[in-house]
Amino acid sequence: MSSSSEKITFQSSRFGQIEVLRSAVIELPFGIIGFPECRNYVLLEYNPPFSWLHSIDSPELAFVVVSAAEFGDNYSFALPVGDKDIGLKQDDEVAILNLVTVRPDPTLTTVNLKAPVIVNMANRKGRQLILDSQSFSARHPLWGKGEE
Amino acid sequence: MLVLTRKPGQAVYIGDDIRITLMEIRGNQVRLGVEAPSSVRIYREEIYLQILEENKQALQHTSEIPGDLSQVAEVWKSRKVSAISTNTPDNNPSSEDEE
Repeated sequence: MSSSSEKITFQSSRFGQIEVLRSAVIELPFGIIGFPECRNYVLLEYNPPFSWLHSIDSPELAFVVVSAAEFGDNYSFALPVGDKDIGLKQDDEVAILNLVTVRPDPTLTTVNLKAPVIVNMANRKGRQLILDSQSFSARHPLWGKGEE
Repeated sequence: MLVLTRKPGQAVYIGDDIRITLMEIRGNQVRLGVEAPSSVRIYREEIYLQILEENKQALQHTSEIPGDLSQVAEVWKSRKVSAISTNTPDNNPSSEDEE
């Protein structure tokens, strides 16, 4: 059996047992900030543009994410080229995901533009980057005028 | 914690490739210069803690929403994403930092 069709299974507290291709696993060497022990995730694209970034190490650990492409050209920043942990080289293809903070009232949902998750698609390694020097909000309203 | 005393212009090495220089003292503020490889992440602590807290918040409510994300998807379809301007106000302390 070739490694590209090898499957793994993991437990999800929301979805039960899930089977995915091993090649679909994304490794975050430092995890998501605040959850450093859980380093392996898969992206469950259940309702584009929203997905679950689901840990395969912890059944309850799953984040709602949205692709940064949804925010257009104003949402731009320098990528961590040269980062040894994700091995990012100039012109490598990346996926950029932003964590969504869902609230009981869905219209109050916000997205964290200040700390995107960058995934190097060449090796499927990623990290959450903090854009400390820029003024993007960690709680950008997902819709509406966005004024506080 | 290792505590060192420095005068303006003096520096500290952390490992072989991170150098922190005390640039100047201005009133009750100290300006620090950090030289490190670009792969080393440098964050003001309050920003790091803000992100840590926001990540925890992001996780907190997800157990209450349907797994198919239908709630957020519904609202998404009916409205447009709010505009991002580079002047978006934030709750951070004001930053006069140079790159």
